[in-house]
Amino acid sequence: MAKHFTRKQVLAGSLPFVAAAPLAKLAWPSTARGGSDHSALHKGDAHAYVGHAAMIGEEVPAPGGPHAQDKALFPPAPLPHKPGRIREYNLFALDHTIEVAQGVHFEAWSYNGSVPGPIIRATEDDLLRVNFTNGGSHPHTIHFHGIHPGNMDGVFETVLPGDSFRYEFPARPAGMQLYHCHATPLKKHIHKGLYGAFIIDPAKPRPPARELVMVMNGYDTDGDGENNFYTVNGRAFYYAKYPIRVKKGELVRVYLANLTEFDLINSLHLHGEFFRYYPTGSTDHFEYTDTVMLCQGERGILEIEFHNTGHFMFHAHQSEFAELGWMGFFDVRD
Amino acid sequence: MESGALAARFSGARWRFWALVPIIALVGAVSLFATTGDSLLELVGKNPPPADELDIRRVEFRPGEIKVKVTNPQRDDITIATVTVDDAIVPYRLDGDRTLGRLRSTAILVPFDWVPDEPISVGVTSSSGIQTTKEITAAVETPQASARGFLGYGIIGFLVGIVPVALGLAWLPSLRRASPEWLAAFMALTAGLLTFLALEALAEAIDLQAALPSGLGGIGLVLLGVASTYLLLTALSRSFAKGEGVVGGVALATLVAVGIGLHNLGEGLAIGTSFALGELALGSFFVVGFMVHNVTEGLGIAAPIAERGRVRLRRLIALALIAGAPAIPGAWVGGFVTSDVLGVLFFAGAAGAALEVVVEVGRYVARQAPGGLGSRHVLGGYLAGIAVMYVTGLLI
Repeated sequence: MAKHFTRKQVLAGSLPFVAAAPLAKLAWPSTARGGSDHSALHKGDAHAYVGHAAMIGEEVPAPGGPHAQDKALFPPAPLPHKPGRIREYNLFALDHTIEVAQGVHFEAWSYNGSVPGPIIRATEDDLLRVNFTNGGSHPHTIHFHGIHPGNMDGVFETVLPGDSFRYEFPARPAGMQLYHCHATPLKKHIHKGLYGAFIIDPAKPRPPARELVMVMNGYDTDGDGENNFYTVNGRAFYYAKYPIRVKKGELVRVYLANLTEFDLINSLHLHGEFFRYYPTGSTDHFEYTDTVMLCQGERGILEIEFHNTGHFMFHAHQSEFAELGWMGFFDVRD
Repeated sequence: MESGALAARFSGARWRFWALVPIIALVGAVSLFATTGDSLLELVGKNPPPADELDIRRVEFRPGEIKVKVTNPQRDDITIATVTVDDAIVPYRLDGDRTLGRLRSTAILVPFDWVPDEPISVGVTSSSGIQTTKEITAAVETPQASARGFLGYGIIGFLVGIVPVALGLAWLPSLRRASPEWLAAFMALTAGLLTFLALEALAEAIDLQAALPSGLGGIGLVLLGVASTYLLLTALSRSFAKGEGVVGGVALATLVAVGIGLHNLGEGLAIGTSFALGELALGSFFVVGFMVHNVTEGLGIAAPIAERGRVRLRRLIALALIAGAPAIPGAWVGGFVTSDVLGVLFFAGAAGAALEVVVEVGRYVARQAPGGLGSRHVLGGYLAGIAVMYVTGLLI
């Protein structure tokens, strides 16, 4: 049997633990002191912050030159009401790589080589004719929002690579519409870039205005089902680098649509000004506001008259989207 | 005789020549594949695109600035396009090339007003749109390689490594009075605690390698670390044992000390890294926890010496240094370098060393213990060793 330990031995045995306690304490105050030193240091250097909320002009990391997005921003001029007139557009689906943010390339599927695709514009009761050719490597369609026959809906008429299809129907109702591919899987075909703005002008023309189109979108560049970049008209921070020039007091009309995939909603907020917002642009009802929220496929018309000159920011009021590319400026001058 | 020897030497030379043939043939085959390989790959299907994932090695926080060190772990080049902090694109400048070749690194400097002690994530997006993100538990100003920091990490290493081991060694006089059964129990306890350390280090190594980019061959790195220290210690114990077969006494204590020392290298690294990466609270807990945890390590070293004659104090100090001092360079490396690859190697090495020492202690106990490996004292001691490490480990 093992002999019993004497009291002295037990005391000697516990010595290391007893001694460890005060030594362990040494570790505490030294680390706590390190922490407070650090925050004091940090406060003094707060001025070193370079926020990108103020990012504007040439230093902004945005892809493309000063006129790269002109075709997406400026719609063709409206035509007077003339029932039965043929408005013809040619659309090609293509696979190609686009620069969505500075230095970041995305393998897009697009209509006519740009994301968003070309702006289609017609006046109410025009006969819209869209000749669609699929030059991509996957089956595609064009699905228009609006009123049209079931066989012109872009759901059943799948156009295989190399094939063509003619969409033909009277343009109605008046308002801001949109179009996109409706081939499956829908999520993939939309987020790859197959969409665009579709404006139908009312029989009674809207007052003349400086007209702009803004299509809000996002890009999931690494395929994880979440957008890495958000833009308006296809390039991150583009209008922060090249602010949109407008005149003080002139009527600015923005045709706005949301085609962002993955995220439930997108929004537009304008700084320093209010605007009339006409949901879908289909009635005279408007809300006087500075912020609108749109789900995917939702769109509307904004009418702005700037009361002041200067740079006015506009951006998604989801801060995350704004800081991932969906931010720009109006440059309002006399 | 002479012609026979000549023939043998000649055949030896021929044997060497033939040994080279596979290597020469391999070089030929590789160069043939390298020149025509692409067409071969087309036969079996298209080459998949590169992953384009960067290895974010280290994120440093300075007043008004975040510094991100990245490495390209893959064969193909990677071009850095955008940088995000907390999912917001930020302006940055590069301290190096924008396009990185295989295993080339660069530093990304982001002017940023980071919030102290709050979590933050840093993302780097390649030109092909692939985003690599690193989450930081708490943003804490990174200690610069200053004499003060050096001293600080040194003291932490000293507190965690040398002090508790030396305290544990103070059990030696008590151990000397123990009966052979109880001594065997303490030896078994040593084996138990080393088994615990080995498994703990191995788990840590495997955890760390999982976070490494696949191009760095994580699990192979773990095996390399484990095997090299295991074999190193085997060779060391053979040379200690000389003709005796089994290592005992001071020689065994030295082996135990080396095993524990390698483990403390890893521990020092973990502590240094946790301080540097902003897991500050965790870091201070670490220090206290490890001190209590490591006192038992000293006991493990004392046990093999206890039954032999007197040992000089100088030798005891040397043992304490072998086992404890590696925590100091470990803390330095962790605090100033922070490399996951080094972390994997350190922990894997610690696992290999501890395992080897378990085997040596086992051999010794099997021969010396009254009743051998199956005795109650040995079984109880082994389990107690694991239990003690588990319980004190809860402190960390």
